[in-house]
This record gives sequence, structure tokens and C-alpha cells, in this order.
Amino acid sequence: MTTECTRCRGQLEHGDLRCAVCALPVRIEAAGERSARAQVLRCTDCNAAVAFSVKAQAPHCAFCGAIMAIEQLVDPLEVAEVRIPFAVERDAAAHALRGWLGRRGFFAPKSLRDDAVLETLSPLCWAGWVCSAQAHVAWTADSDEGAKRSAWAPHAGQVPMRFEAIVVPATRGLTAAECSQLVPYYDLRHAVPVAGEASEDVVEDVVIESFDAQRSAARAQVQRAIEATAKTRVEPHIPGRKFRNVHVACLLQGQTTQRMAFPAWVLAYRYRGRPYRAIIHGQRGELVFGRAPIDRVKLAIVVASALAAIALVVALVLLGAPRP
Amino acid sequence: MRYECGQCGSALAFERVRTAVCPYCASPNFVERPASAPSKDRPDPAWCLAFTGDAEWARARLQRWIGRRMIVADPALGRASVEEIRGVYVPAYLYSAVARTTYSASIGEHYKETETYTKTHEDGSKTTETREVTRTEYRPLAGEHLGYITDVVVSAGAGLDHSTFGALQPFELRQLRRYSPALVSGWVQEEYSREADECLRVSRGDAIDAVGEQLRAFMPGDSHADLSWQTRVEWESLDPVLVPVWVFAVRYRGDRPPMRVAINGQTGAVAGRVPLSWWKIALLALAGAAVVTAIVLLVLHFREPPP
Repeated sequence: MTTECTRCRGQLEHGDLRCAVCALPVRIEAAGERSARAQVLRCTDCNAAVAFSVKAQAPHCAFCGAIMAIEQLVDPLEVAEVRIPFAVERDAAAHALRGWLGRRGFFAPKSLRDDAVLETLSPLCWAGWVCSAQAHVAWTADSDEGAKRSAWAPHAGQVPMRFEAIVVPATRGLTAAECSQLVPYYDLRHAVPVAGEASEDVVEDVVIESFDAQRSAARAQVQRAIEATAKTRVEPHIPGRKFRNVHVACLLQGQTTQRMAFPAWVLAYRYRGRPYRAIIHGQRGELVFGRAPIDRVKLAIVVASALAAIALVVALVLLGAPRP
Repeated sequence: MRYECGQCGSALAFERVRTAVCPYCASPNFVERPASAPSKDRPDPAWCLAFTGDAEWARARLQRWIGRRMIVADPALGRASVEEIRGVYVPAYLYSAVARTTYSASIGEHYKETETYTKTHEDGSKTTETREVTRTEYRPLAGEHLGYITDVVVSAGAGLDHSTFGALQPFELRQLRRYSPALVSGWVQEEYSREADECLRVSRGDAIDAVGEQLRAFMPGDSHADLSWQTRVEWESLDPVLVPVWVFAVRYRGDRPPMRVAINGQTGAVAGRVPLSWWKIALLALAGAAVVTAIVLLVLHFREPPP
């Protein structure tokens, strides 16, 4: 269940005590009328007066040892609400890997495609947030526009922006570089609720990764990602041909965040005893990347040939130079 | 203010606090007021940060803090006894707002220049040489800065002054809970005693200081000077919150008042001033001066040209 923050129109979820974006506390209406009086909190088991215990982080009865429940911190580990189904089948993924191994170029071992042993092929749905928001972005930067004695002159400005479906990875399984290679090619329109059956899914036993952050920490991560995006987006607004020291300040409004799981095949293969890893996009089988071995003999021959060529050129230059 | 104990009915005095332990039946009482009763300057707390460290944890923090200062502290502090230790829920306000700021500054941009200078050699001859120097060109910049100011907490109790309270910060606001008497039962809860308007003014001041910090990081260039700003705050919220503080009274000499030390009940940050020992400071200064003198003498000795 979600509601809206009255100050920034950001999304509030069940259990939120403050808005994730602008920190406005979520107030609740006061209870009914009573007269002023001194009160004692009583144990629900033995009726003795109880006090708050630091160790139990709850009221604790010193007589019978009972611990009473009070409102607990709502800071759950994030879980995906929706996921994008796999469109690449297991066999297609294995086939895509073989094709990719065969196209590793001149420096790859000749037998790589045939001798690589596929060890694991796991359908993983990695975790990420998909954010949208409106923002007023104030920026400052140095650019060559209007420069005088120094090569740089300071500039400032303000620009409204709309952030649509920014994907912020929250995964431990994949690196940031791997995620940035996968993200541009996902079709988010195919997302289905995690709880429901994914009729479009062509793979079974999909592992849906847990988010690597609790709700409170997640929001700071999302905000940093939006600011990083804003920094890139203001670049066209900076006058001049080159710039540096770009700073942004964002006033976000109406931010919504969806927790999504993104499909990818994670492959581990072994070549001559050494393990390597490759990733295949879960929706587009032609997108494969990862680490592959190189043939050291070929590399040594190329380096030696290059050195010999350089030595030959130097020798020719020296021989051709006029003698004093 | 007098109320009857909720357990045995004996009279209880609540002096500047909203919680008390009954001296007859040892029951922890708290004052419950009707929803309409809280006034603007004596609000019911809406939020609470619970203690996460117990008295032993706080005592260990205190000992460590004193130990680090013994080099300049009164030696009697080493034998001091903790006279009083109280876990107090200190009344405070949690402030947040939208801040729109207009600023102006002189932005320093470095550039390199070749300058000519005259070099005097050991034999007294002079030559003209050139060198590259970095200079700074200052350019004016004005603009607007936008953002939310969050997590400003100001004290609303009489027990801790603004600077002591500031030294205890930050509090871990991610652990914020909705206020419930269950959280303060058995602990001392100090009453709100500062006016809400005064706290709002202090909060705004802190918020504008926070904008200044953000602006300093927002400035482009290699350096900046003459930064000035005007902040307009909108959509302010000021919510009463209770924050956990351990208060110690440490008796170190019979003829002196006890040293008061406050410890953040969540993070263990310590605020207080140790009584100084002037002879220790004088000895340290002398030792420092002796070391500096020795270094200077050594440098002078080795720089002397060989005979």
C-alpha cells in the first residue's frame, strides 16, 4: 500500500515513518480524549509495572521476565515486487556462450570454443530499483566559455528534469560494470509481479536475488544514483566546448521507486583448469560478455614481432643517417 | 506538578520530568495527558529514539573518554567515582524544510604564467631567469541552490545547552520510532521547557548553516572567496522527538562540583569538559619547546659550512 508525501509528493510505503526523499515525518491522528494522570505500564502476563529494557529493546518485566511487543522499527530488507521474465532458454544460452567463445578474436586460444567446459548455467534475476521523479536541478561548473587569463570560467544554472525509469543496481552477484552493460537492453514493459505466475517465462528454477540493502539505506543509494544521472544530464546545458567540476543540487518531487528483478544467465566455464565467468542477457541472447582466456604463445609472438620491427626501424634509421 | 502513583496511589512530584519512579512501590510512572492538553510549548512527543546502549556500555565510553584526556586532566580524575548516572530522554525538535538559496561568490580559477626573476649566486653574480608560477583569477558567480534540509535536531530541554547537545549529534534517525510510553517507562523523560518558536529559530539557523556547508561543496573553480547566501525556507516541519542521553556526574575532588558528562545513548558520542591540570599543560609545553629547540639547533649545526 502506498500513499503520497504532502511536501514532495514522493511515494510513501506502509510502515514509513518519514518520507524517503524530503524526510517529512508521517503523522497520525491523536487518540481519544482522556484526563491527565500518572500511568503505569503493566506486564500483560503478571500485571506488574514494567520498564523499557535496552537489551530487549522493548518493555521488560523484572518479575516474570515477559517482554512486551511495541511498535518495531520498520526497516525490512528490500524484496523485488516485479520481475522481467526470461526470454532466452537454457539451451539457447549455452549455444550463445559457444558462439561467443568462438568469436573471441585472434588472441583467444584456437581450441577455446570446443575445449571450454561449461560448469554452471544459472538463471539469475538480479535486484535493482527503477526510479522515476521530477526534479529542479541547480548546477555549477567551470567551462572554457568566457575564459580570460585562466582556461576556465565559472558558470551556474538551473534546469527542470524528468527522470524516467532509471535503473539503480542493488546486487551483489553482478558488478556495477556488468549491470551497466545489461541495463540498456531490458524491455521493462514485460515486467510481471513476482508473486504471480510468469506465463511468458521460458525458464524454471529462476533464482531471484535479495536486495543488498535495507529500506532506509536503499533510499540514500537511489538518491545518489539520481544525482549521478542529473550530473550527466546537465552537461548539454553547460556553455562552451569543454567543462570540469560539475556539481548538482536536486530538489526531487514525486519520486516513485519500484523494486525489480532483471533476468540474466550467469555462466561459469573452465578452460584448461582455470575458471571464467560470462553473462548472457535474459531477454536478448545475442548480448554476451565476460572474461575469456588469451593464448600466451600468440601474445608473446606478437610482442616479440613488434619489438623486432621497432628494432629494425631503429637500425635502418641509424644506418641511413649521414656519418659525420 | 503532583499526580497519584498509578500503582499504589501515593503522591508523586514530577519536577521538569514526565516520568518518575514511585518511592513507595518502585513502580515506573509516566504522565499521560489528554489529546487536547498539550500546549504549543509543552507538546506531547511524537517520535522517540530508544537507548541502544545500557549503563555499563555508557560507563565504558566514559572511562575511555577520560583515559584519552588524562595527559592534560586533573590527576584526581584517575581516582574519581561516578556519583550519579541517569539515562534521560531529552526533549528535542526534529526539523526539516525545503531550502531555496541564492548565492554569490568569487570563484578562483588557476592559470600558469611565466615570470622573470633575478637570481643571485654564491659568488655574488646575478643572472636573469624565468620560472612558471600558478596564479588565481577571481570571477564573480551568482546562482540558485535547491534542496531539502533534513535531520536537524535541536534541544528543547533545560538540562543540556545548545553546544553540549550539538557535540552529542548526530543521532541515528533511521532508528526513529513513533513515541509510546512503553519506550520511556522506567527512564527519566525530561519535560519540554523551551518555547517552540525559539526552537524553530534555532533550527532555521542550523538549517542555514547546513546550506552553507552544501554551498561550499557546490562551488566550482579551484577555490572560492566571499561566499554569501540568502536562504528562503519553505514547507517547514517541526516535530517533538525524544533523544536518549546518558548523564554522568563524576566526583573527582571533595571541594569541587562534580564533572558533568553527557553521552549519546545511541552512538556513544561524549560531550563534556575535563578539569585541566595546569602543571601538566606547562610540562607538556616545556617538553614541546625543548623538542623544537633541539631540532632547530640540529638543523643549524648541519647547515654550517665546513671550515
